[in-house]
Amino acid sequence: MRHSLISPRLKPVRNFISLIIVWEIVGRMDWIAGGALPGISEILIRLWIDRGDYPGHIGATVYASGLGFLIGNVLAIAAGIAFILSPTLLRLMRGVNIAIFALPPIAIAPILVLTLSGMAPRVTLAALGVYFVTMSATVIGLSQYDTRSADLVRAYGGGNWLILKLVRIRGAIPDILSGLRIAAPNAVLGAILAEFGGGGRWGLGTYLLGSLGRGDPARLWGIGLVATLIAGLSYAIFAVISTRISGSTRSVTLNTAIPSSQGENAYGRPIQALILCGTITLPFVLWWAFIKLTGVPDLIAKTPYGVFEYLFLKDTSVIARGKLMAALGQTLPIAAFGMIAGLAFAFLLAISSRLFPGFIKGFIPVALVTQTMPLVALTPLLVLILGRGYSVTLWITISVTFFPAFVLLVQGIQRVPQSVLDLPRAYGASAWTEMRIVSIPAALPYLFAATRLTVPRALLGVMIAEWLATGTGLGNLLNRSRGYLDYSMIWTVAAVSVLLSVAIYYLVLIVERRTLVRLGMQNVE
Amino acid sequence: MPRQPAGISLRAVGKTYRGRGKTVEALKDMNLECSPGSFTALIGPSGCGKSTAMRVALGLESFDSGEVLISGQTPAQATASGITGVAFQDAALLPWRSVAKNVALPLEVLGRDPSKYSVEIAQLIELVGLKGYENALPGELSGGMRQRVSIARSLITSPKVLFMDEPFGALDQIRRRQMNVELQRIWSETKSTALLVTHGIDEAIFLADQVVVMHADPGRVVDIIDVPFARPRHPDLFSNPEFHALTDRISMVLHEA
Repeated sequence: MRHSLISPRLKPVRNFISLIIVWEIVGRMDWIAGGALPGISEILIRLWIDRGDYPGHIGATVYASGLGFLIGNVLAIAAGIAFILSPTLLRLMRGVNIAIFALPPIAIAPILVLTLSGMAPRVTLAALGVYFVTMSATVIGLSQYDTRSADLVRAYGGGNWLILKLVRIRGAIPDILSGLRIAAPNAVLGAILAEFGGGGRWGLGTYLLGSLGRGDPARLWGIGLVATLIAGLSYAIFAVISTRISGSTRSVTLNTAIPSSQGENAYGRPIQALILCGTITLPFVLWWAFIKLTGVPDLIAKTPYGVFEYLFLKDTSVIARGKLMAALGQTLPIAAFGMIAGLAFAFLLAISSRLFPGFIKGFIPVALVTQTMPLVALTPLLVLILGRGYSVTLWITISVTFFPAFVLLVQGIQRVPQSVLDLPRAYGASAWTEMRIVSIPAALPYLFAATRLTVPRALLGVMIAEWLATGTGLGNLLNRSRGYLDYSMIWTVAAVSVLLSVAIYYLVLIVERRTLVRLGMQNVE
Repeated sequence: MPRQPAGISLRAVGKTYRGRGKTVEALKDMNLECSPGSFTALIGPSGCGKSTAMRVALGLESFDSGEVLISGQTPAQATASGITGVAFQDAALLPWRSVAKNVALPLEVLGRDPSKYSVEIAQLIELVGLKGYENALPGELSGGMRQRVSIARSLITSPKVLFMDEPFGALDQIRRRQMNVELQRIWSETKSTALLVTHGIDEAIFLADQVVVMHADPGRVVDIIDVPFARPRHPDLFSNPEFHALTDRISMVLHEA
């Protein structure tokens, strides 16, 4: 019998060490883009030289993202529970929820800095970054519960509140933790974006901005690695808690009851139309209220009417619309392509997690390192390596859509109970057949959810790349408008990108409803 | 007003489902009288509405016409006052709760303090033969063991009215017979009114005072057959010629379409 030289447990370590060695050689030899990728030792040496700078910057970023994470998640979980108790509220708030998620942080960071003071813009942006992810994870977890257990509670006279308390909340914990896991790096990204766009002395974003002009790749990489470490650590904490808990939460048998679509037709047409009106107008009302409450001068803060006026009623409207349309023509195709590629990649990897569990285990850390790397810190590095062409935009877009989609899909597949997997196996099904019969259909609701989740991200990814690298499209328009102090255009771009996200979101939702109803599945909120 | 004794009463209950252009009469003019302390078995083919009848009696589903009284109360009042117990076809255990905590679940729903029932919980777990598994999670148990947990759970409130929806459907024949004997013993000790929904004719005859036979489409009662055997019934009964005669009779009623 042949023995492998290295035990399987040590394989990841070996892979990691070889990666470091390759990196070191490539870096030292300046093989990539003329020294854009420094050797790991060069980065570490730079880190040591800069060691005096880091504590203050790290402290500021961790403080802002931690506080934002806390506030955002408390609000998100409370909102998720409220939405489950009242489907009407969920529908009424859907526009606001999606708008919050689709707000390009890069566009509102300067606005927040102008309207709020001190740490508030960073905390707000971090909180905004986590809210949607955790809120939707909470709703997903609470809506996918075992109806048999709920029947049992009701058979003893228990009402909705007791079902929520005894069955649904505990059952939702794995989903909520998975939400927190994705949300944690988001908070760091939000805080850094706000630092990036908003002055202040401390913070990794500030540090990165100050170092951009120096042309010292080793320091940029150092900051990027530190930011990634913080984000990755926050992810890892929730990943550990999550694996501890999800084992005892999985149902032993699969519930075959088809959940009834509650509340969907509970009201007459007039009330439904009213709710729809509320859903659409509520985000605009909040937008308007925010401006009025903060008392920011009209010159800087544009109300919904201000944007409308700018686009349609002024002498310059034709020019403004022309600029906007040209930018959209550049941004949309590449966003769509990047999103589809990111989703396809995530789907393929997720369904193969049953086929090659070892590969997935090895892949997750790699995915984490690239994915928890805050986008803003990542972009300058990618630009150094890939140049300023379309490939940068595409890679950034793929990577921002891939990560959340992958986590969501793997989780969906993991929820398939063992007995259901045993059945095809009992008939001698190959891993592929088992996947085709069980894993892929089980993952379908999650694929739709992931698609809806990544629409705004794709758009945001493209815009960040355009802003920082390619000088095209909506992102560039935003950047230039900032330079010209054209606040109307900033608000317009933010509003248009949100509206676009929402429109595509609904398109996916319609396709999803039709498909899942036909398949007798429940859609994931 | 004097409280009526325990019992299940469905009078002229009707229920229809509407879906995709066609209406299904799940229950049509359904009558069921279970006198206090009696054991009734509800038997019929799949889709005859026997589970629906039970769910209506438990207040889990609404009905269109007729009257349902549990111990003289509406299903909602009866279940909330804690006089009912229920075991479903599927054990429906909460996967994150230990056996003992799953057994205690009805107490929590009813707002009682589970810590005051620790003796009863331990006794019931022993009664269903799961001593030593108090702290096991459902995922660590076999199907039969999970089902026995759900029987223990149905008894924790010392119910006056006990509902069982094919509680032994997933068990093997030997274990099923054992559980039938056990159930008879437990039931005779509790003196509750029991309603058992089942597919098994022998199980129905062995346990019940009256066997109610239902037919499907529309779901209705076609015959009520009294079981004359004296109690306590011994497992020998399964080989008794009179038992077989009764089995054949019910079988005939079941198969007349």
